[in-house]
Amino acid sequence: MTVVEVPSLLLPADEDLSAPLPASTDVVVIGGGLAGCALAYYLAKCGVEVVLLERGELNREASGTNAGSFHFQIALHQLTGSGVESDRARLLGDVRLLAAAAEVWSGLEGELGADLGVHVTGGLMVAETADELETLVTKQRIEQEAGLSTEVLTGAELRNFAPYLAEGVSGACYCAREGHANPLLAAPAFAARAIEAGGRARTHATVIGIQQDGTRPLSRFKVLTTAGSIEAHRVVNAAGAWAREIAGLCGLDLPVRAEGLHVNVTEPRERVLTPMVQHIGRRLTLKQAANGTFIIGGGWPARPERAPLRYSVRWQSAAGNAAVAVRVMPALADVRVMHMWTGVWASSDDLMPIVGEFAQCPGYFACVAPTGFTLGPIVAQMLAEAMAGRSPGGLPAEFRPEREVALARN
Amino acid sequence: MSTSAGPTCDLLIIGGGPAGLAAAGVAASHGLRTVLVDERPTLGGQIYRQPGPGFVVHDSRKLGADYLRGQALVDSARRAGARLYTGMSVVSLRGTSAVLFASGPSSGPGSSVGRGRFFGDGDDEDLVVTTSSTTTTLHAGRVLVAPGAYDRPVVFPGWTLPGVITAGGAQALVKASRVVPGDRVAFAGSGPLALAFPAQLHHYGVNVVLALEAGPPPGPRSLLGLLLAAPGNLELLRDGARYRLQLQRGGVPLRYRRVIVRAEGDDRVEAMVHAAVDANWRVVPGSEQSVAVDTVCVGYGFVPSIELFRLAGCEFGYDEDLGGPVVEVDEWRRTTAPGVLAAGDGTGVRGSAVAADQGRLAALGAAVDLGFISATRGTGLARPLRRRLCAKERFRRALRPLFGVGQGVYELATPETIVCRCEEVTLARIDQAAAATRDPNVVKSYTRAGMGLCQGRNCQWQVAAAVARRAGLVVPQVALMTARPPVRPVPLGIVADDSVPDEGLFVR
Repeated sequence: MTVVEVPSLLLPADEDLSAPLPASTDVVVIGGGLAGCALAYYLAKCGVEVVLLERGELNREASGTNAGSFHFQIALHQLTGSGVESDRARLLGDVRLLAAAAEVWSGLEGELGADLGVHVTGGLMVAETADELETLVTKQRIEQEAGLSTEVLTGAELRNFAPYLAEGVSGACYCAREGHANPLLAAPAFAARAIEAGGRARTHATVIGIQQDGTRPLSRFKVLTTAGSIEAHRVVNAAGAWAREIAGLCGLDLPVRAEGLHVNVTEPRERVLTPMVQHIGRRLTLKQAANGTFIIGGGWPARPERAPLRYSVRWQSAAGNAAVAVRVMPALADVRVMHMWTGVWASSDDLMPIVGEFAQCPGYFACVAPTGFTLGPIVAQMLAEAMAGRSPGGLPAEFRPEREVALARN
Repeated sequence: MSTSAGPTCDLLIIGGGPAGLAAAGVAASHGLRTVLVDERPTLGGQIYRQPGPGFVVHDSRKLGADYLRGQALVDSARRAGARLYTGMSVVSLRGTSAVLFASGPSSGPGSSVGRGRFFGDGDDEDLVVTTSSTTTTLHAGRVLVAPGAYDRPVVFPGWTLPGVITAGGAQALVKASRVVPGDRVAFAGSGPLALAFPAQLHHYGVNVVLALEAGPPPGPRSLLGLLLAAPGNLELLRDGARYRLQLQRGGVPLRYRRVIVRAEGDDRVEAMVHAAVDANWRVVPGSEQSVAVDTVCVGYGFVPSIELFRLAGCEFGYDEDLGGPVVEVDEWRRTTAPGVLAAGDGTGVRGSAVAADQGRLAALGAAVDLGFISATRGTGLARPLRRRLCAKERFRRALRPLFGVGQGVYELATPETIVCRCEEVTLARIDQAAAATRDPNVVKSYTRAGMGLCQGRNCQWQVAAAVARRAGLVVPQVALMTARPPVRPVPLGIVADDSVPDEGLFVR
């Protein structure tokens, strides 16, 4: 069995995360998930003074409880059901962002000088019905146009490439750039490097209020926490699934809500599956991790519980998720499920990232991304560069916090 | 999705040891439609374990008193009309609905491999649930969780060597498979059973070369305490004296105030190194000795199986001498989770006699709750049980000075010792992560300790102890890793249910 090494330098233990808060800073980042840790790193790297605040421990919510997949292909959740062509303009933008995310991830281990468990394995988006196959073909053209290289495989070509797929799988779209990283390592690595670059982080500091004083441009905000208060020139809300509550502290609204997700994890088996497998019409993501376990998810819900309990397992989700997995890859039937875990994710009304400054509250920024493991690093990098004044083009308008949500996708 | 479809019963009993079997007999005799499930192929639990499938018992007396006691409980439960199923695992519990599947072979009347017959809504006999291909959710009026206990995991250098086994494992080998574990066996442990185990092994023909007890020899003061507490417990005192006599007669050296400090050997255990300890079981420097053995049997007491209680959302107290976390129960053995009752060693390790009476009490509680008997009648029936339980509790408290668990049991590992054997994580690694957090879940995510096939059962106590040491806390102050189903590994094909609608990602 593989032992995942814990390089000691990736534990931000050298910094006393429970030290008193500094009196003031340029930027306070609220939320110690992947987006917040990455943002702290990119800001510190640009020479911006930053303090990261986390109410619990770093990386304990969505960023550390997802399956670590890079989703670059157009997926089920991006489709409205009104036809791929009708979504064309929006999807082109989505894919360009995803292609840029692929660039960031491919260079991230080098950037951070750390093993993040990045494995570019390729990814297969499978189709079973004729309709699903048609969707695959159409979406593949859009990906091609947006600069993401994918190809649709069918028949003997598909069987040769992926002999483990069931007979009922009629086609699959392959993207060589997809893969996964270890979600337990990415955010802590960003945090450790942020601290090395001069950033600071404090855990067990729950933000309970934000006071504003527009007459003091250099310390407009006073952020009150359970561990003391800190004055800040700028504040970034990177609270993920809880971004709406944090926005509410300043009377702002963010269309973000927390959703619970289910993941099945099996016992380790000999390697048979290299690419990640997703489904264009069903809720499925499936991959075999480096230690041989199969990690199976895809958006099946978990049950909310009252705080401080975490989301609990809905057996129905375990059963439905397992059924899709076994149907797509029949050899999984006798592999034992060893663990089930639930995670949370930040769902926005249009499932687009929310990145940028609030027009109605200068100095207050948001940095939240649904499918945040894939997009967290890129949006954090974009925002950091904008906040450091190194982004001549500014941030994409479609990410603005106060945008009109034209289309609630189903 | 909460569904009312599926099989039902009045009382579901999880666990077919003394507590579960005794409860089944009482509940069924009061008219409750009672289903008992146990994941093992045979009933009786650990202590009353019946021989495994394929064995035919010609002379039951030769199998000893435990076999006969178990057989009597099984018979009376069955006669009362309880349905007993073996080879059936509970993998999840929410409220009073349990997810079951046929996990393994089953033996004995009343059950068949891969098929469970439960009570249907109308006709009791009509509903046949095939559990070999998928899970079944059984809805019960009340659930009695009686999961028992398992050997307290003790980590010392060499504990993962072949030839090092737990006392419970050794006992299972001889009882269910009639196999003796080795040619030269050492026993290292503590507690009332520290005498019983080697005596039993000796009785079954095992060559026990040394038995170690971490606690002190019984002195005049503790014996006086035992005598004062003894009324009603003479049998237990007699058992203890008998075990000691058996060991003496068999020439098995029994040494007090000594613990195992490591097992040595290349491919398997060849020697056991042991040392003297103080009252907290901390090793006295310079007192090490070695003995050549091919098998080391480790039995430092038991810890309750609390996974189902944790899934059900029960609240816990803590008592290291009872095995650590102890589920809270009221006078009818109701937990704090609505509809869920608890009995047996899984609620604090007190032994089979107490377990059986707790089971009977819980069955009465369920019968009262569901209206099968009046509260007055239930209280009357419970009176002798409660009297016996009180007497046994006094006895247990009197034994405490002899068998109290020392914290030294969590301090035998060295930095290189593998603590999580599933994921091969060393103590050094865990200590490193414990420096960054007080949350065992975070230690787990940094190190993978607890992510393996045993689902953390073996290492979670050691991880909690490491976090506690680092933070200057004691183990009970450290939270456990989050509890999640499945309580047992279960094949994906069995979890899979094609009838669950896939409504797409964002339909709520």
